[in-house]
Amino acid sequence: MDDYAISVKNVSKKFTLHHEKRDSIFESATSLFQKKRHSETLQALDNISFNVKHGEIFGIIGRNGGGKTTLLRIISKIYSPDSGSVDVKGKIIPVLALGLGFHPELTAITNIFQSSILLGFKKEEISKRVEDIIKFAELEKFADTKIKNFSAGMQMRLAFATSVLVDPDVLILDEVFAVGDLNFQKKCFDTIMSFKKRGKAIIFVSHDMISIKNFCDTVMFLKDGKVGNIGSPEESVSAYVDYLSTQK
Amino acid sequence: MTTIREEMWKFKGILFNFAISDLKIRYRNSILGIFWSLIEPLLMLGVLFFVFSTMFKFEIENFPIYLLLGIICYNFFKNGTTLALNSLTNRSSLMTQIYFPRSIPGISSGITAAIMLILELVVLGIFMVVLEFTPPITILILPLILALEFLLILGISLPLSVLNVKFKDTEFIWMVVVHAGFFLTPIFYQFDMLPDNIQSILQFSPVVQIVTMAHHVVLYGVLPSINSILYAVGSTSAIMIIGYLIFRRYQSRIVEEI
Repeated sequence: MDDYAISVKNVSKKFTLHHEKRDSIFESATSLFQKKRHSETLQALDNISFNVKHGEIFGIIGRNGGGKTTLLRIISKIYSPDSGSVDVKGKIIPVLALGLGFHPELTAITNIFQSSILLGFKKEEISKRVEDIIKFAELEKFADTKIKNFSAGMQMRLAFATSVLVDPDVLILDEVFAVGDLNFQKKCFDTIMSFKKRGKAIIFVSHDMISIKNFCDTVMFLKDGKVGNIGSPEESVSAYVDYLSTQK
Repeated sequence: MTTIREEMWKFKGILFNFAISDLKIRYRNSILGIFWSLIEPLLMLGVLFFVFSTMFKFEIENFPIYLLLGIICYNFFKNGTTLALNSLTNRSSLMTQIYFPRSIPGISSGITAAIMLILELVVLGIFMVVLEFTPPITILILPLILALEFLLILGISLPLSVLNVKFKDTEFIWMVVVHAGFFLTPIFYQFDMLPDNIQSILQFSPVVQIVTMAHHVVLYGVLPSINSILYAVGSTSAIMIIGYLIFRRYQSRIVEEI
């Protein structure tokens, strides 16, 4: 039991969808006099349980809106689940989509500091690593450039380099290969493999079934917020493909 | 409250990092930028001084210093609370990617405002030297008064930061309050000049009490009256408690609203 890096137990999460979102005090006050309810609930995640071992690459696939990002956010404690529990051992690095929460008005170096401090590092530790991070991201020329002038690929490289070089115990990758050139993809791949060798857990979300099959040890297919299948990559991918063909 | 304090200690690195990066963005990463930020209070000083010393002829001793001190105290309040308004919404991309306590952006805005306050106090010092004004010994109490103001700012900033995510018009309402507050605070007049019935209402405003106490200790060598202290501490505590309750009610689900 104890050798799991991440264990997710019976996690459920509901969202309230406002059809006409009331987001001003004025509207909230006037709506007190209206009887109609403009909202419904969406069960984003329904009783999800799974475990990820150390040194395992765990893939998550599913349709857009299937609950993948919600699940990642619950694992990295950004959302709190309505019920169930998440237990993560060690330091966790979320790489959700582009740019690790980079601030567009700050330079690459300042952003590295900001993100790394958020991830729990001391200033001195980061100072030692900043150069390596910039080098890994191949952004030597742009270290003092504001993030807003970076291309999507450059931002992704910086985000990936930052999160990898702070050496987390759990790595969450959400569509990291969507941007970045072939050269950098190869670098990412090598890094991920070395993480795996050192016994770190990796959660990998992608719509690219080929890389899912290549990378992952176990794959979970999320079917509208429920566990569709957990098993070998081939099994889950074919369950997903079958599901998609029934949808048409 | 204790949980907030523990979290602050754990996340103090990021607290100051946010405050500094706010300053950097504000001052556009340049040293000159800092001087730009001082132009605003000085311009305000110039205009008010012109209007009230030539047109209305208020008889207040050391009027330029009286005015500047009031403007600086009020600016601290204004900067702290208005920076906090958008502190969460400005960091929406960060909030959806890394967990950190929701109270950090609000508190770091207070720290940013405090750093700006220190710069403005340096200008006040320069004014005192130029005008050959020797402050009385009671000026040593000023830091305590400003510390109380800092607590007041926190008590307002935390609820404002979450309310502005939930209700987008919080910002506009608060800006009106801040503008009105400038005229309802004894910055360019003395509290005693107001009619009694208005005084009895405005005395409940912690900002009014804080500015009055600052004037007393810096200009007149008078210790704040027990009355002022009680009103100021009382209203600040009330605001902090209510503010914390509002903050706690909304904070947990705030990321989903952003």
